[in-house]
Amino acid sequence: MSIPSDQPEPVVRVNFDFRRELARKVEGNLASYCYQCGACVGDCPAATYSSTFNPREIMLKVLYGLGEELLRENSVLWQCVNCYNCHERCPQEVKPVEVIISLKNMLADRGIYPEAVRKIIETFEQTGRTTPLGPVIDRQRERFGLPPLSPVPMDEIRKLLEPDADQGGFT
Amino acid sequence: MKRFAFFPGCLIPARHPAMEFAIRQTLPKLGIEIVDLEGASCCPDPIYFKSKDKLAWLAVAARNLSLAEDLGLDVFTNCSGCTATLSETYHLLQDPDLRAAINKRLERIGRQYRGTSRVRHIATLVRAEAGYDAVRQSVVRPLTGLKVAIHYGCHLLKPSRIMQVDDPNDPTLLENLVAALGATPVRHRNWYLCCGKACQTDQIPANMMRDLLGTIAQEQADILCMICPTCFGQFDHGQMKVAKEFGEDFHTPPIYYFQLLAFAQGVPYEQLGFERQRFKPECLCRYQTGADHGAKSARAEGGRP
Repeated sequence: MSIPSDQPEPVVRVNFDFRRELARKVEGNLASYCYQCGACVGDCPAATYSSTFNPREIMLKVLYGLGEELLRENSVLWQCVNCYNCHERCPQEVKPVEVIISLKNMLADRGIYPEAVRKIIETFEQTGRTTPLGPVIDRQRERFGLPPLSPVPMDEIRKLLEPDADQGGFT
Repeated sequence: MKRFAFFPGCLIPARHPAMEFAIRQTLPKLGIEIVDLEGASCCPDPIYFKSKDKLAWLAVAARNLSLAEDLGLDVFTNCSGCTATLSETYHLLQDPDLRAAINKRLERIGRQYRGTSRVRHIATLVRAEAGYDAVRQSVVRPLTGLKVAIHYGCHLLKPSRIMQVDDPNDPTLLENLVAALGATPVRHRNWYLCCGKACQTDQIPANMMRDLLGTIAQEQADILCMICPTCFGQFDHGQMKVAKEFGEDFHTPPIYYFQLLAFAQGVPYEQLGFERQRFKPECLCRYQTGADHGAKSARAEGGRP
């Protein structure tokens, strides 16, 4: 039993601005249905191999609006292996992995990415591919009788990447 | 011949052309005609670009699907990541509001997403359109006695409500495809673990890879078979890292299923690009008969006592 303290327990205040911003991301609002059963934890490889990653705790932080604990440099979110086991197990169809990806979208809005991730995103935005083309690749392909790869029509891709004027959201 | 639009993605055409070569060799023998998809981009990937902006990710994926819709064909992928992105897009865009928003973006380039082309991973395509018997009949070099560990990876099976490929808790697709080659599929204790590629720390993937390779070695598998180029890269490169970091050399060569199928269908070992792998599936050479032996493997066999 803990010794009663004179100081009252600090009250958790839900940050609704954070919740609203998350809800505007595709499938960002699903954490609202989480009842903290922990079914997402047992088969989570990241939780198995790391003491600091726990999808149930991440959903709880979302429910409490504790965005600042998740949206920062070296965020625990990047330990997720994207295996979709939590999506498979969740009885409430919260899709924790999708909530985590929506939180990563919020990190990206703030310009915070791990360096390796930033590099691949930039390659895609510049070339339309995650693996850039080049003469070395064309020579490798030729060895197998395969034609050179053609460039992606980037004028079209760039137009698709521009954000919508109205900044509308989806849940 | 049944015709399908081929969405090759980024990794296989650029990094693993041997896998693309194997696909183009094997599918026609199973009655499947490959129709190339002109103007396709990255799917985009479900790990990196999806983490930046889900809405833009859906828009680019919908554009790729609309290219197949123009041809009036279903689309097949050769990478579990592409399968995840395109299948999820197909699923999410059944929501009318989201579809309208994405089509508003596609209007910028004079395109429309209609949702008329289904998405299938190549392994599922072979099961549904050719069948295991056709695979068995296409084999000229049965791989009798070859113990093949199976790695399903994540995005072929999950989320099962969207992928609708197999039971994610007890799948049989890859076991059946491997058995059709005459080989013996092996399910190891850690079969459901992930390759770890998406994880942006070093320690989680390294420890997971060590456990995976350890249980595969316990089963005394000759090779590790998979259907995703990302998993392949993790196992080939990752295995080297595990050997260095933990001082344990399990030496289990990874192999992409369609290269194994091509070999069983009679394509010579030397043509399949295995020399570029860090861990080479040299155990396959014992299945090459005298007639199709290359000079190199004939020398290797001559050297045995």
